[in-house]
Amino acid sequence: MNFSSLSRVTLVALILVLGLGLTLTGCGKKAPVETEPQVEAEAPIEEVPETPVAEDPTPVEKAIDYAALEPADFGVEDIFFAFDQYDLDAEAMGLLSRNARILREADVTILVAGHCDERGTIEYNLALGEKRANAVRDYLISLGVPAGKLRVTSYGENKPFVRGSDENAWALNRRAHFTRP
Amino acid sequence: MRSGILWLITVLCLLTGGAATAQQAEVTLEVNKTAFQKIDILVNMLDVLSGGMASVQMADTVEDVVINDLKLSGLFRVGTSEGQSDSLSFEYTIEGSVEGPLRDAAQTGENVPTTISLNLLTWPGRQLVLNKRYRPLPDQMRSTAHHFADQVIYYLTGAPGITQSRIVFSRGTGDRRDLFVIDYDGFGEMRLTANRTLNLCPDWSPDGKQIAFTSYRNGMQGVYSLETRTGNVRKIIEQDGLNLGADWHPSGEELLLSLSRGGNPEIFRITPNGDIIKRLTVSKAIEISPSWSPGGRDLVFTSDRTGTPQLYIIDNEGAGRRRLTFEGQYNDSASWSPNGEKIVYATRSGNFTQIVLMKPTGEDRRVLTDFRWRNAEDPSWAPDGRHIVFASDRSGVFKLYVYDVAEDTYRQLTFGDDPDITPAWSH
Repeated sequence: MNFSSLSRVTLVALILVLGLGLTLTGCGKKAPVETEPQVEAEAPIEEVPETPVAEDPTPVEKAIDYAALEPADFGVEDIFFAFDQYDLDAEAMGLLSRNARILREADVTILVAGHCDERGTIEYNLALGEKRANAVRDYLISLGVPAGKLRVTSYGENKPFVRGSDENAWALNRRAHFTRP
Repeated sequence: MRSGILWLITVLCLLTGGAATAQQAEVTLEVNKTAFQKIDILVNMLDVLSGGMASVQMADTVEDVVINDLKLSGLFRVGTSEGQSDSLSFEYTIEGSVEGPLRDAAQTGENVPTTISLNLLTWPGRQLVLNKRYRPLPDQMRSTAHHFADQVIYYLTGAPGITQSRIVFSRGTGDRRDLFVIDYDGFGEMRLTANRTLNLCPDWSPDGKQIAFTSYRNGMQGVYSLETRTGNVRKIIEQDGLNLGADWHPSGEELLLSLSRGGNPEIFRITPNGDIIKRLTVSKAIEISPSWSPGGRDLVFTSDRTGTPQLYIIDNEGAGRRRLTFEGQYNDSASWSPNGEKIVYATRSGNFTQIVLMKPTGEDRRVLTDFRWRNAEDPSWAPDGRHIVFASDRSGVFKLYVYDVAEDTYRQLTFGDDPDITPAWSH
């Protein structure tokens, strides 16, 4: 299985341009095709050199004032959860590994805030929201994000992103939201 | 064959046993409903001896409050001197007088005390049962009348009156909710906090002098104490993560709450200064929403260790754990009744939350609210053990309702457009 899929990739790589082949094996987000390889290519380059490079005089394009931005502004995406659940699904893990790549580099402390939909009790939802935020924090730490960069809180059902009492609103309100502390 | 017969006997026992308990439950319910005959009482107009219009207004207020208190207790049928049919026979009558200053305070604007004399007499024998004299200032008429009504209720029924009790709750939307307090009869609403963050889940100290609550006033969750007399707020505890669900011990010397300390929410006993006395639970599950038994020896709390939130009881050392709820996929927010005989809690069924009453043994489960209530959450007992306050969005927005468990009647306590949640009745 492993071998056959590998050979298929090799075949595709032989036939297609190498860059296009990489996007096919990539994570399949709906981002423009051209930006994907750039991100893929950038990450290893930044990972291989150790800290000395980061302390070099920073180029103009790296001078982001992270503290002044919402995490969403520098590409950190919120994580969504199933009803009554606080464990991370495959999609959440995929998003979090992208978030981790950004957060490892960004010189910023961020707040992971757990949120729930309106169903259920105030107290249990506060606890559930915290479980969601903790699950996200723990996974980010496991991916190498320094624990000191992450703070956690929960708003439970108190601070919904979308008003409404339907499946769509509920799904959008069950999340771990990245924000400034 | 042997085991087959045994099995048959067991089934028969179960069947007959089940039928017997069902019958018993029905009978008990009937007895409860009719066991207490309401006392018929006539509240007469107070005599205004002096003080002009100001005294007349005070007399009106006192009459109205006493009549309302007696009705709200659920223990009386109240007649008033206006439009009363002679055919009704009363057991007791309330009479009294108002003696204001010689100069009418309504004209002079003077803030001087008035003498109010209130009497409870048998009827028609007219034997004096209770006599109270008060010297209140004009703005103390309601509390004066509440005090007298409390005395009447206690004297005639032995039940602790709730006329001077209050309810604290959280009002607002999103992450801006503040604590408010309101008299049990819906008067005297007052705002307690104004810090533009979330303030919720309040609980009264047994002496009513402090209210513990969860607030994000410093950015992160912490438990604070508000002094009711001054409004001063001090921090009790602010640890990493969840700081939630404070519940005062009946002694006033410690509190229960849930702390996650960056990990998993567990139940702790702490002092009013925030020092940890003892950790009571150890699990990988969510453990929240603790409530002391009236004696302060046991507590009921929520744990989702089985995968769904359910109620459990442990003692104050964390030992003797037993599961209380087996019905429903989602049970939380338990509150132990003042006489220890009932536990009220919230259950989620489908998308909605309802209020359930149960004995601490797990028997006699009774759902108080139905679909007409939409969601009904966060129940809290009145000191009389008969009334419960909870939040419901039956009107479209969460407001507070007072429910009479003995008669299955209710009244709306708070009004307006802002959601009201997490009420707590004073002790």
